[in-house]
Amino acid sequence: MSAGVQRRWQGLLFVAPFLLLYCTILIYPLLKGAWLSLYRVDLFGGGTFVGLGNYGRLFADPVFWQSMANTLLLALMIVPLLTAIALALALALNRATRGAAILRGVFFSSAVLSVTIVTLIWRFVLAPDAGLLGELWTAAGWAPLPFLSDQSLVLPALAVTTIWWSVGFPMLLFLAGLQQIPHDMYEAAALDGAGRWTTFTKVTLPALKRTTILVFMLQTAAQLQLFGQSQLLTAGGPSGASRTAVLFLFESAFGRWELGYASAAAEVLFVLIVAVTLTQYALTGRPGADNAR
Amino acid sequence: MRADRLSPVAWALVLLGAAIMLAPLVWTVLLSLKANAELVGNSGAALHGPYTLQNYAAIFGTSQTMRWLLNSAIVSLGTTAGVLVLCSLAGYGFARLDFPFRRTLFVLVLLGLAIPSQAVILPQHQLFATLHLHNSYPGLILPGLTTSFGVFFMTQYMKAIPTELDEAAMLDGASRFRVFWKVILPLTVPAQSALAVFTFLGSWNDYWWPLISATRSDMYTLTVGLAAAQMNYAQTSGLGFLMAQAVFASVPIFIVYLIFQRQIIQAMAGAALK
Amino acid sequence: MPGLQLRGVAKSFRNTEVLSNVDLDVAPREFIAFLGPSGSGKSTLLRIIAGLETADAGEVILDDRRIDGLPPGQRGVAMVFQHYALYPHMSVRQNMAFGLRNARVPQDQIDRLVEDAARVLEIDPLLERKPAQLSGGQRQRVAIGRAIVKSPKLFLLDEPLSNLDAALRLRTRVELAQLRERVESAFIMVTHDQAEAMTLADRIVVFNDRRIQQIAAPMEIYARPANRFVAQFVGSPAMSILPATLADGGTLASVKLGDGSRIDTSVGRDSLPAGAQVELGLRPEHVRVVLSGEANTEATVDLVERLGERSLVYARLRDGQQVTAEAEGTTTAKVGDTVGLRIDGAAAHLFGPDGTGYHRAAA
Repeated sequence: MSAGVQRRWQGLLFVAPFLLLYCTILIYPLLKGAWLSLYRVDLFGGGTFVGLGNYGRLFADPVFWQSMANTLLLALMIVPLLTAIALALALALNRATRGAAILRGVFFSSAVLSVTIVTLIWRFVLAPDAGLLGELWTAAGWAPLPFLSDQSLVLPALAVTTIWWSVGFPMLLFLAGLQQIPHDMYEAAALDGAGRWTTFTKVTLPALKRTTILVFMLQTAAQLQLFGQSQLLTAGGPSGASRTAVLFLFESAFGRWELGYASAAAEVLFVLIVAVTLTQYALTGRPGADNAR
Repeated sequence: MRADRLSPVAWALVLLGAAIMLAPLVWTVLLSLKANAELVGNSGAALHGPYTLQNYAAIFGTSQTMRWLLNSAIVSLGTTAGVLVLCSLAGYGFARLDFPFRRTLFVLVLLGLAIPSQAVILPQHQLFATLHLHNSYPGLILPGLTTSFGVFFMTQYMKAIPTELDEAAMLDGASRFRVFWKVILPLTVPAQSALAVFTFLGSWNDYWWPLISATRSDMYTLTVGLAAAQMNYAQTSGLGFLMAQAVFASVPIFIVYLIFQRQIIQAMAGAALK
Repeated sequence: MPGLQLRGVAKSFRNTEVLSNVDLDVAPREFIAFLGPSGSGKSTLLRIIAGLETADAGEVILDDRRIDGLPPGQRGVAMVFQHYALYPHMSVRQNMAFGLRNARVPQDQIDRLVEDAARVLEIDPLLERKPAQLSGGQRQRVAIGRAIVKSPKLFLLDEPLSNLDAALRLRTRVELAQLRERVESAFIMVTHDQAEAMTLADRIVVFNDRRIQQIAAPMEIYARPANRFVAQFVGSPAMSILPATLADGGTLASVKLGDGSRIDTSVGRDSLPAGAQVELGLRPEHVRVVLSGEANTEATVDLVERLGERSLVYARLRDGQQVTAEAEGTTTAKVGDTVGLRIDGAAAHLFGPDGTGYHRAAA
């Protein structure tokens, strides 16, 4: 029987290296974070239990609320537009010509850049004094717009930058979704005398429903974590008009070293993102359905 | 692929979109080819000559950019190698072997798909400080190894390989590890390369963790180094040089992208099917 | 004792018993076929012998060595899998050498063993190819070659012919028959194809419903099925089974069928259990379509299956009982006709209320 017992534990050896790291570096900090959020902790130690005090302070903090509002506003500007553009591009470029292949490459190219490079590029597209748009505006005889220093322009500017950066991945997902529609569905629709519009609304769109939900939810979760664009392009300014939730968390943690307070903000964000992810799983039915034999 | 033709209006829109995609990139390259002095107060000069490579020469000459490139390469390759080893082992374990708490542990791993890195950053930072791992390569690499997606991806791929192969190998006298190493692992090369490219890109472009963990400029990766450079470019070396750094830093990733386009697309589609 | 012995092997999957208390002896060099419908436990038993499943109870002994605690590779058995399970990334040579390498056989000996086996199986020109470059039949041979080189004491074949087309299946059957002449091993083959089992096996083990139903030589299984299940499962078309009433008296049993006709069997009256209700089993070749003068009953034709040299007539007796009969290839019987049947009672089988088979005394 000892051979059987040994065989039973053998599998654990294969998963142990990953699980040890995973639990130490991810799961333990996750639990520790929840614990930290109940204490007043700063750089010099301390650690007074304050119960939900950090949360109370957080929900009374106008800076926090502004950063949450900015984040949601950005997500609201980015996600629907991004989803629509990606879908349109996928529909237009889902063909086997060389031109379509090159254009797919063009639209995906920005997605391989890091946020640092994207902001570097867009800083000098958006800047009124040294930017591409500034030059274009001047050439057209208008006064350059201060995209990054005007409170009402800064969020749209960040949204445009983000859409430019992120359009490639959702486009690929839609292309993959289109590839999975069986060709005979189109043939059947043609035999039924369906026109292009009818085919699109009755065959293509319903078949892409799952992909659309997936793109929408993945992007929502991603944009709720928007950080680099805001930190690098505007440092959250002008006067907090572009400070996002993660930037708020970053500043409280690594600027003011209010660890307990920042942990509370992190937990709120975590709950929000988990909610989005769980909604996505609920709507698309994955994963977990096939997690084990 | 559909065969019907796109209307001219749609084509025009697509081409306009492509122009919007490309214009900032072209603009960046043009700026990088101009002498810094010429651009002061007049970035429009980038639209015409004379062009020069002096900014690129400066990267090789004096700046820390080469050091950051090296750091990025070490961290990205280290992360990629680590992810492949850990996820292949774990994937085989979850796909093939039965052991106590297997389902529970797999659910625990899946949970990681929903944990954003921001939610754990503070305790992670404390943990690495306690272990004196900040400003070190292991410190920069380790968090990247805890990828639930990698384990999930490898598990799914290995489940699709017939178990008859494992059984045949065991009847051939191979140990479990030898079955994994000699029979199953060679069959996962497509998944390995997709996961490798995906991990490499993610690690190369990661900004969040190195921003927090690498505080000494000699341990910066390219992303953090370029962030620091753009924050205070006005005081330092000038617009042309900054843009040359941006172009220089993107070249490796574009090369990887061009070579491994297929794997990237496959991995992304795989990520979507999770 | 040389050969393979199974003692009291039992296996359940999550509260569902799939094998119950199985005993079996296989002699050295014997060819055994495990025959049964799917889900009867035959594959599970094969996998328990191979070490791919662990039995809940019982012993597996091979050449006086208890092997049920050993890992598959140390049991001295080789297996040919249903889908061949060739390693796709290895050449034919590497596929065949893999087991030997694991056993740390010296390289020159590996080369010799692999090349010898390849020559015998006529796959030596294919040694450097990958499995994907081979036809189904070639893959089958490589799978057999991979088993041969290990000189196992026991070959396990899991439905080895089920993936081949009909022509190739016949040829491979011949090759398997030749193979067992060449090697010193015993064979166990799992199959649901009775023709395969009848052709190749020295003895057939018939499985149904978690248990071994009968272990016997092919013709013994056919002529003296242990029970109703074996009688109907082996033989094509299946034996007709008719309810019958045992008549009183005599040393040999006589029965009366539902339509009133009386059949005199050669089954000893004394061997039958008490009670008058039995079932009569008739192979098609023992029920002939004849002119009414020679007939002992008559039936209405449902279907005539023309096989060329003979025809099979599916018919119903007057009381509605279905029976399969044989007729000349040239028979003029057609659907709806009433034909005379001559039942050869001397060759008939009887089944008791518990399904046990009773046959005429052995010659």
